[in-house]
Amino acid sequence: MSFLPVVLALLAGAYLVAVLEGWVSTGRFRPAGPILSGLALLGQESLVPRTPDRIFFEAGPVLLLTSALLASAVLPLGPGVVIVDLATGALFVNAALVYVMVALVMSGWGPDAAYAMVGGFRFLGQLVGYSMPIVMVIAAVAMRAESLATTEVVESQAALWNALYQPVGFVVFMAAAMALCFLPPFDLPTAPGELAGGVVAEYTGWRLAVLRLARAVLVVTVAAAVTVFFLGGWHGPVLPPWAWSAVKTLAVAAGMLAAGRYVPRVREEHLLAWWWKLGIPLALLNIFVVGIMLVTVGG
Amino acid sequence: MLLQALFAGFFGMAAVWFGVVVFRTSSMVRSALALLFSMTAVGAMFLAMEAEFLGVLQIMMMATEMAIMAIFMVMYMMDPGGLGQMDMSHQKRAAQAAGVLGALVAIGVALLTSWGPAANAAPGAAEQTRLLGIELMERSMLIFETAGVTILTAMIAATAAAIERRRR
Repeated sequence: MSFLPVVLALLAGAYLVAVLEGWVSTGRFRPAGPILSGLALLGQESLVPRTPDRIFFEAGPVLLLTSALLASAVLPLGPGVVIVDLATGALFVNAALVYVMVALVMSGWGPDAAYAMVGGFRFLGQLVGYSMPIVMVIAAVAMRAESLATTEVVESQAALWNALYQPVGFVVFMAAAMALCFLPPFDLPTAPGELAGGVVAEYTGWRLAVLRLARAVLVVTVAAAVTVFFLGGWHGPVLPPWAWSAVKTLAVAAGMLAAGRYVPRVREEHLLAWWWKLGIPLALLNIFVVGIMLVTVGG
Repeated sequence: MLLQALFAGFFGMAAVWFGVVVFRTSSMVRSALALLFSMTAVGAMFLAMEAEFLGVLQIMMMATEMAIMAIFMVMYMMDPGGLGQMDMSHQKRAAQAAGVLGALVAIGVALLTSWGPAANAAPGAAEQTRLLGIELMERSMLIFETAGVTILTAMIAATAAAIERRRR
């Protein structure tokens, strides 16, 4: 049973990501920060706005957490350390993570507040941008592995990582991963300073704690997906397999958090234009190049 | 086998229930998302019946499709939240008659078709994916390519119609 180790690893990863995010956004390294702010949130009153769509308001944060957890269920930490080794794992990761958008639309619509609703619908637009490239890049990864199973994808990179075999796909996937986790510069649904928190603006107390936990778990899950699809998963010298998975996942998460510091927030229409005019052609080019390489050079 | 049948039945009931919710609620967003969860339940039925690829694909595609539909419903409806108690149903008699007729036809097809002997075991999930790929790339290729090109044409036409003509 690898259920317990994977969930524990996920929680530990979410904690470290929360520390990292605090470090990146405030410039102060506080290892106990997430515990303290978590306790503070749990002690706080959790308000329900006037005339909410109660089902959406309550279900949104839980659905966000669920979709991140479901996606992590098919991502292997080491050989055999995976909750379910689905034959369609690579597709399942994306299927589960699409519900991030459903969750954000629900929590945006739920509170009956302008900023939250704008935030929710912004993320829907964002999904229209990044969802096609992300699937196309996964298709190219599956082409090399000749399988959709995540463990086979990792095995296919034993000799050469996908990040080096298909660098264009890697860049597109990293950008899409940041858009999927709504990290800066793609933090349109929350947009601190402009939408005053957007989707999370109306959440307080334990509901906000669930939302923050879900976001941290989402970042870890997506970083783990990058590791599995592009960085050779558990492969590496000296250290045990699980340690390589953990190191790579945390490095990817740190890279995604740090990259956002140096780029200004993208406007919605610019974001869509970039994804459709540059992202999709690049993803298609990636499939084409990988296809030619598979036929000529081999996997 | 019994467990599978139970799960398939459960998700089937869930799909029907969410389908009912679509028409019970007057909020457009709730209606769109209820339709989404109805489709997700159908995807879960596929999973319960060991059709893994189809199930996962259904669960993935429907979320995006229904969300985009939700945008249009919110855009074009005058009362998307359903707070104004606006009655958006019309032609009730005709709709009821069409609904009952459709249900009868569906039940008739389900009962009267000879479905052939039930398969004892589904092929492995990876094998199913491979077989589906071969089906899409060989026998059904023309159908899917035609559908794809038609949708693409419709998308380009809709975009062209929506873009305001620039004055020179």
